Amino acid sequence: MPTFHAGIAPRFEDLRDEFDRVWTSLATAPERQGWPARRAERGSAERLFPAVNASESDEAIVVEAELPGLDAGDVEISIAGDELVLRGSRTRRPEQPAGNGEKPTAVTWQRRERGSGEFERRIELPVPVDATRVEARLVDGVLTVTCPKAPQAQPRKVTVQSA
Amino acid sequence: MTTETQPQTELTFRPDVDICDCGNEVLIVADVPGANPGAIDVSFDDGVLSVHAPVAARTLSGRALQQEYGIGDYCRSFKLGEGFDASLISAECRRGVLEIHVPRLASVRPRKIAVRTA
Repeated sequence: MPTFHAGIAPRFEDLRDEFDRVWTSLATAPERQGWPARRAERGSAERLFPAVNASESDEAIVVEAELPGLDAGDVEISIAGDELVLRGSRTRRPEQPAGNGEKPTAVTWQRRERGSGEFERRIELPVPVDATRVEARLVDGVLTVTCPKAPQAQPRKVTVQSA
Repeated sequence: MTTETQPQTELTFRPDVDICDCGNEVLIVADVPGANPGAIDVSFDDGVLSVHAPVAARTLSGRALQQEYGIGDYCRSFKLGEGFDASLISAECRRGVLEIHVPRLASVRPRKIAVRTA
């Protein structure tokens, strides 16, 4: 089982997250409620990586995932049964990076909120998809996977004949 | 040293960051997936480093199946204090990760003193 290490935030961060969550839920338009609250959970050890949004149109299932720092080659995308599987890993910066091209020096990480390690997410697909036509692109850390529905899963328009 | 201040508006999101004190500089690494690299605003005023990374609105067509995150700008500020050279602050954004280098003034950088032997 892949292990993804959630970043560690000081305890007062949790308190502010709670404040943000309450504030956001009060200030957000009704149709967006729930989204920012989930975003505010960043920093929690239980969060899933990557975070995923998905939608279904007549033609396809589209899955979008936030994968900052990853190249296209860093993520493996596959269709397994009725699931879309995203696998990969995000490496953490070394504990002692070189500053400005100089020799590595003793450094102190004051915050480590960004998660790292291996991840795997399985997204259930509600209808059969055509695995041979799945397309994916990764732009500015956002992965978009388009899974065209199998022909039998697409809605069929029935013409009503008049007498 | 890096005391954080509150975001300015409720419709922005607070990016996850790693902050490193590298001696000669402070390095801030922020996850800003979906942000337009050319529109990111990084400013330093009175010891406070502010980041605003605009994200273009986008929606997935059709019926929503799963919603685990919202779309909005990233905004976060850090109170770094004195002793930094604002003219040498640099930032780059690649693959949705923003890195900001904030160099210390030469006069306050840690200096290693060689001890001469007799």
